Amino acid sequence: MNSIYDSRILNLVIFFPLLVAALVALLPRDEKGQIRAMTFAGMLISMVTTFLAWVGFDAKSTTEFQLTYRAEWLADIGASYHVGVDGLGLTLIVLTGILGPLVVLSSWSFVQERVKEFHIALLVLQTATYGAFAAIDVLLFFIFFEAVLVPMYLLVGVWGSEERQKAAVKFFLYTMVGSVLMLLALFALYFLAAPAGSRSFDYSTLYNGLMAANRELAVYLAANPTGDGVGLSPVAAALFRYGPWLFLAFALAFAIKVPMFPLHTWLPDAHVQAPVAGSMMLAGVMLKLGTYGFWRFAVPLFPVQAREYQTLFATLSVIGIVYGALMCLAQRDIKKLIAYSSVSHLGYCMLGIFAFTTEGATGSAYQMLNHGVSTGALFLLFGFLYERRHARLMSEYGGLAKVVPVYTTFFLVVTFSSIAVPGTNGFVGEFLVLLGTIKSNLPLGFGVLAATGVILGAAYMLWMVQKVFFGQLTHQENLSLKDLSGRELGAAIPFVVLILVMGLRPQPILDVINPASERFVARAKYAQGKGADDLEKVRVQVKALPPKNAVADARPSMAPPVAVPSRVDFQRPTRPTIMQPAPKPVAQ
Amino acid sequence: MTIPDFAFSEFFPVLPAAVLLLGGVVLMLSEVFLTSTNRGYQAVLAAFASAVAGAVAFHNAFEPARLVLQGFAVLDPFSQWTTVMVSLGTFLAVLLSAGFLKHRNAERGEFYALLLFAAAGMSLLALSAEFITLFINLEVMSIATYALTSFLRRGPRPAEAGFKYFILGAFAAALLLYGAALLYGATGATKLVDVGAGLSAAFAQQPALVYAGLGLVLVGFAFKVAAVPFHQWTPDVYEGAPTPVTALMSAGVKAAAFVALVRVFLLLGAGIDRSLLFTVFSVLALLSMVGGNLMALPQRNVKRMLAYSSIAHAGYMLLGVAALFAPKVAASEPGLFAATPLIAPGDVAPLVFKGLLFYILGYTVTSLGAFGTIAALERREDETRGNTSDLERFAGLAQRKPGWALAMAAFMLSLGGVPPTVGFLGKLFLFSAAVDAGLLGLAVVGILSSVAGVYFYLRVVVYMFMRPAPADAPQPFRHWTTELALVTSAVAVVLLGIVPGPVTEWFSRAGMIFGQ
Repeated sequence: MNSIYDSRILNLVIFFPLLVAALVALLPRDEKGQIRAMTFAGMLISMVTTFLAWVGFDAKSTTEFQLTYRAEWLADIGASYHVGVDGLGLTLIVLTGILGPLVVLSSWSFVQERVKEFHIALLVLQTATYGAFAAIDVLLFFIFFEAVLVPMYLLVGVWGSEERQKAAVKFFLYTMVGSVLMLLALFALYFLAAPAGSRSFDYSTLYNGLMAANRELAVYLAANPTGDGVGLSPVAAALFRYGPWLFLAFALAFAIKVPMFPLHTWLPDAHVQAPVAGSMMLAGVMLKLGTYGFWRFAVPLFPVQAREYQTLFATLSVIGIVYGALMCLAQRDIKKLIAYSSVSHLGYCMLGIFAFTTEGATGSAYQMLNHGVSTGALFLLFGFLYERRHARLMSEYGGLAKVVPVYTTFFLVVTFSSIAVPGTNGFVGEFLVLLGTIKSNLPLGFGVLAATGVILGAAYMLWMVQKVFFGQLTHQENLSLKDLSGRELGAAIPFVVLILVMGLRPQPILDVINPASERFVARAKYAQGKGADDLEKVRVQVKALPPKNAVADARPSMAPPVAVPSRVDFQRPTRPTIMQPAPKPVAQ
Repeated sequence: MTIPDFAFSEFFPVLPAAVLLLGGVVLMLSEVFLTSTNRGYQAVLAAFASAVAGAVAFHNAFEPARLVLQGFAVLDPFSQWTTVMVSLGTFLAVLLSAGFLKHRNAERGEFYALLLFAAAGMSLLALSAEFITLFINLEVMSIATYALTSFLRRGPRPAEAGFKYFILGAFAAALLLYGAALLYGATGATKLVDVGAGLSAAFAQQPALVYAGLGLVLVGFAFKVAAVPFHQWTPDVYEGAPTPVTALMSAGVKAAAFVALVRVFLLLGAGIDRSLLFTVFSVLALLSMVGGNLMALPQRNVKRMLAYSSIAHAGYMLLGVAALFAPKVAASEPGLFAATPLIAPGDVAPLVFKGLLFYILGYTVTSLGAFGTIAALERREDETRGNTSDLERFAGLAQRKPGWALAMAAFMLSLGGVPPTVGFLGKLFLFSAAVDAGLLGLAVVGILSSVAGVYFYLRVVVYMFMRPAPADAPQPFRHWTTELALVTSAVAVVLLGIVPGPVTEWFSRAGMIFGQ
């Protein structure tokens, strides 16, 4: 665990694509084949590095963030270069790594203009996404979070379809508004969490610094719900007064990114206009930045306010699920349908998070991965069709099963995954989310309404499949469609394998996610707790900076590991299974 | 009359200005004795002079803060860092001008001499601690820039711009002088320290006189920093001036005026009610941030757009100044013009000074780069048609000149405050200082208006990357100095945005401003 190699692996994961981008930039612009091959090879190696990180990660360890690396960065404001992963971050990084080469394959022949810039943008996007999932310093996270925008903006705006510029600008401004408000709230936290001199943007400083105040506030609010905050300690008083605003600023930034129901309007535009690769990265990885943000920052840092707004956010999630599904039923444009199905699926992720139960959180995390795989695959497969026919409307197709049987098979498997047929990955995630919601303190209606989304999901997807693949061949042009080529098969097969493996053997992945979701739930419920019993579980372990004047990379891993008191009640069973009875919910 | 006996160390602060003046004089003389038509060496000489001045100022910046020259000037890190940045701006502006002027056959020694004189004025303005000195230095700077504005005197715009700038500038300078005279009448002193000391007594006797004096001084400065509502001259002058000069005006002139403004009101503020100054600066900041960004939104001329954007950026800096004067007692309700610190505030002054300096540094490199790119795309034949720096000039730049387009995109993102650029870190420092001082409402407005700003900065990026190039697209002229300047500023914009390294640590010392 404590080798140099382990402490560096995340740096390799994050910056390797950037290195490849630099190499690609040196190639002549007309060498399209070389550019594609080099990017593909780079993405493959980058995927392998994420696998190495997966191997280096110890799911049974009590250390929350593993493979950490910390170095001085903006020393005088207390921001450092601090990366590390827990179960959630790791799985999302691996998902990003797997999508990388497939994205390159998907646009091998689709993108013919400005090939070099396209691939550089893809590689830069990859680096920014890895960085956002690995950053433990909140300012570093913010920078990566914003840096994702620029290549994505270019992907949509330069290589998209007709209305691309409008979609790109809309996408950029929506996300920008949210994130700058979050930045402001982040400053406020930065000043609240620690006294002058020991301030830092590190996650441990922010979280640990606010723990006491959060609990004080929760106790106070439980005792006098309509109190005016007199008698609270300064930090708790500030949280009492500004906490809701700060929480909402964080939540707004992430809710736009997810996107949650009333803020989702940029997504259909961006998806429809984006090129295949853009859609795949957007759906596969970028939307997860929003749910990841709720999980890592918005809820744990503001447990009291998250509780307060639990019903609101759960309601919005359910509305998103049902509304997204209903919108799908009304679509005639296939890409738009897939985009709205994203709104619906991401609703499950949000509902799982705001259920504040271990099952819900695990299911939410699993659903994030599922959505990346199945929606990524849908965009990929539809991209192949679009490349052949350049039509997005369902009415342009029909009866394709006779012409392209292999393609139809793949599409059907992915459809089953998307509508959560048992045996595919979608089932595990949605089942866990619904289970968690029903077990949570939310009224039963939330679970029931969310479950209708599953039925609606089956309805719109099967309806679309029926219209596109079955029935009579109505268009002459469709007669001469070619089935999947070798390259396209190469891109599609990994998705199908993932769908089946994640559906039939979810346990290894759940084992990695479970500790993270237990921590998340403990943090969400911490403020309501009574004694100090859960303290060690929720406190973020501090990783010290390398000593001053030492060379920044002077083997930080050789420092003695941070001592974690081994507590009897903290020993997890070696293999927590999903069928375990949940811990009794804390009394409200 | 006795001639005071000065130690050599007393002259430290004015050494950078002396170097710049010397360079200017040498350039003027060289123009007189010139025998050949090859003027390539002049730019190198001017760049060299500004580099030396910057190095001297850098050396000075680590001296402890103190009054020198019998209280007429100060030697403190704040003013010396400003000089460093003015020198940096001049250095880049000189490099940009070399290609720009050569392209127009207008390369003359006096252009560089005027640039150096203006830079000397900026440097001296930043360290003046006495009203008459301050006024003279302000005029040294201003007159040089008036002349530079209409340097390319053929064509209607430079003449109009120069004349407008001169009339309005002279008017503002007169107001400033009038205000200083009133304050002299109230306190009997012209040295800022003495004026500040006598101000509370004078205020008790003749409040109207003090109010009038302070108000007039403030208006004079507000004009120089182009704060709304004293900004009307900015777009016309910025558009009409030769583009490298515009770049220097937006960065250097503003920086120097800001430092003088902070110094004057910091030293004078000791004698008067802080909350009054706080309100005034808050209002100015609010108007400039919102107004500048809103007025820039509809612009299709990139140069005018950047002029309005520079007003908005002055607004952000004024936000920092307002944080400096935030009342110590927290207001009961958060509001636009109220300070409600989240918890008991510490001393925000060091944070503000660091933020201001870093912001000025970031704005200097970004603005020089952005105007430099515009300058390189200008064509003489367009000048009569008046569409020299139209947005269409940028259409399809990414296909024709990907390097230039990338650099310009970096400048635009930096102006918009998007990470990982220096503009983001500058905003980060400034806004975090403002939040620490409790200016929550203003900070929210500032952030939102900066998002509005992203829209028009992005429009340039859209044109460069997503529009096809027109058939008659201008080919940027190539000159090694221009390219050197652009590469330098582009690298600085990105590098300072990712690893500011020791720079922020240096600027932390700027908290040692004299009088604090």
